[in-house]
Amino acid sequence: MTKVAPRQAAHWQVFKTHFVEPLGRWIYIIPLLIVNAVVIIIPSVSGILYAFTDWNGTTEANFIGLDNFGRLFQDAVFFRAFINNVTYTGIFLIVPIAVGLLGAYLLAGIRHGQVVYRLLYFIPYMFASVINTQIWRYLLHPKHGVGAFLADHGITFLDFAVFGRRSTALYGIVFVDGWHTWGFLVVLYLAAMTQVDKELYEVARLDGATRLQQFRHVTLPSIRPTLIFSMLIIFIGTTLVFDHVYILTGGGPAHASEVMSTYLYTQAFENFDVGYAASIGVILALWVSVPLSIFYVLRRRGWQI
Amino acid sequence: MRSLRLLVLLVFCLSAVFAASAQDEVTLKWWVETTDQGDLDHLQATLVEPFEEANPGIKLEVIGQESLQDVLRTALLGGAAPDILSTFGPAWNAEYIKGGFMAPLDSYSDLYGWQDKLVPWAYGTGTIDGTLYSIPLAFESIVMFYNQSVFEEHGWSVPTNRTELEAVAEACMELGINPFTYGNLNAVWANGHIISGYLNNYATQEELRAALTGEKQWTDEVFAEAIALLTDDIAEKGWWSGGLENYYQYEGADYWAELASGEAAMMITGTWGFNSAPEYFGETGMVWDLAPVPNMNTQPRPSVYPLAIGSTLAINAGSDHPNEAAMALDFLISNPDRVLEISSGFNYSEWLLPLAFSVDDFPDGVDERVQRFHAAFAEATGMGNYGYANWTFWPGPANTNLRVEIEGVWEGIVSIEDYLAAHQVVWDELFESGGTIPVP
Repeated sequence: MTKVAPRQAAHWQVFKTHFVEPLGRWIYIIPLLIVNAVVIIIPSVSGILYAFTDWNGTTEANFIGLDNFGRLFQDAVFFRAFINNVTYTGIFLIVPIAVGLLGAYLLAGIRHGQVVYRLLYFIPYMFASVINTQIWRYLLHPKHGVGAFLADHGITFLDFAVFGRRSTALYGIVFVDGWHTWGFLVVLYLAAMTQVDKELYEVARLDGATRLQQFRHVTLPSIRPTLIFSMLIIFIGTTLVFDHVYILTGGGPAHASEVMSTYLYTQAFENFDVGYAASIGVILALWVSVPLSIFYVLRRRGWQI
Repeated sequence: MRSLRLLVLLVFCLSAVFAASAQDEVTLKWWVETTDQGDLDHLQATLVEPFEEANPGIKLEVIGQESLQDVLRTALLGGAAPDILSTFGPAWNAEYIKGGFMAPLDSYSDLYGWQDKLVPWAYGTGTIDGTLYSIPLAFESIVMFYNQSVFEEHGWSVPTNRTELEAVAEACMELGINPFTYGNLNAVWANGHIISGYLNNYATQEELRAALTGEKQWTDEVFAEAIALLTDDIAEKGWWSGGLENYYQYEGADYWAELASGEAAMMITGTWGFNSAPEYFGETGMVWDLAPVPNMNTQPRPSVYPLAIGSTLAINAGSDHPNEAAMALDFLISNPDRVLEISSGFNYSEWLLPLAFSVDDFPDGVDERVQRFHAAFAEATGMGNYGYANWTFWPGPANTNLRVEIEGVWEGIVSIEDYLAAHQVVWDELFESGGTIPVP
């Protein structure tokens, strides 16, 4: 039997603790890291680098410093797109969330057939955005949509092209996207509400709290992490919105519904101005990182969110 | 033992023969814009099979790609593009040529005599700085389709000048018929067609050529007047689709149905409409016809046909088989009958290479209106009465600017002067970088 000196054994133990064991754990995630590097880190870093070049997507890229960002701040269309993104997100953070909360709260009180209701609410979310947009495009078609039908019967308030009018195009898209999303929020909030301790409601009732007070002082604080999470994913999703806008209006009329991602697409794929498009991408990423950073900081400070 | 040796030898010989034949066979890849299975079957029967039969050892794979231009550029950058490159036309090629993705074709042109077989103006559009990079796959023009049944019913004549056009349009409006129909939903390029229609029929050919070659500014009065006229017609008078709002929401099915049903009288679009008109008018039983876009200027002048190349063919500079790819291109260029047969599947609106066709070349049974257009186009362009379509002679950034920013003018939030001044800035950059198209 081989004898190992106590000193050697101690060295091996140190080596094992500090190198072998941690390496052993890392080995399991190395494949994931490689995939992440290939599909996320490398494209992200290259995207940031291209933002400082005049790359047109085909020739060699030349470093031009901050020129693209200088252009961005003088570009009225980009400014319009940014404002539209903020508007889009702002509406989404209010209306679908409010409707989702209301729907979930009402559903939470239903004892029979809740699964059926959940499914009904969730159906729009299961539609691909192409189908979702086509449904609403036909429903709101200026010639043979609901508006035209109502106009034939003397009701004219919807007798116009919702997506073809500058003043309504963006709001029309937000409505369609919201209709697509709010069922998901209902299901999300409902799942959170079912986890709320029933005794809290019992106590509130004994204290004479109304349904509204119960909702405000019991339900909302209890589902706060879910609520904050939903707000975060809405912020990210609406900032990166592309498909609904692209299909319904293409960003028009006259950029009225242009958002940053559609403008980025136009610059990259129609104007061959990939460097400039990359700079829009960087601004998009920075904008998305704002709430994520706030969320992170608040969590670090011990906020229960 | 001896049998075993013989068997091993036989297997070895057969393997060598199969390996050699596999190495000898070249596979050419060619991505095309259409993904319609009927179109692809037609291409298989009229292009692929005859080519493979005529060129043993070369296999041709024609593959339909959605969003071809986006896919193609990504594939070129990734080194996975096909041997034969189809693009939307000369305006798209400048960037690919700068990037070194398109092989020069001069040697093949000399070898096969392409310059003598293609009409000169079309051949010229594939040339950048004296080098040939692309071959036109289909020539097109901007015309005015109209519902002949509606015109006959109301006793109208097809307008040839501004006065006649205004008379017909006003009569339409009084009857609740849209004078024109069209739309740009998911197709902002539609704006470009009507802008081209107005620019080419308001400004003279010389004025337009001067602007395209940098000898005249886009801010010139004549272009401002043309844009003002279009803006007045589409935004103020509401001649299109019952109003600008509808125009923004109409797609192909909407405007063709409106024209074919008699709810609209006319439509300015490209000659690819030959492919759609029979389908939609076939459903309503009404009759369609076409004419040149009327002269929009008060000065008398013949209407012109804008020259246009709808798509081009080029050889991937990274292709392993450029010679075989050139053979495939020559298979089209040197076979007018083959081209007509392929193009017949698209009612002669696509895959019609600009070879020196005469009307007599078209086979019996071809739609009389299609034949008449080709005869008129050949005659008018032969006399020099041609113009310049935006999707062929406006390079990518200028084309995007022209057709996207016009909506600001129509909506009254951008002045015509500012629109044209911004357009000139884009052109100035293109002249500086050498990204313009040769103008015949």
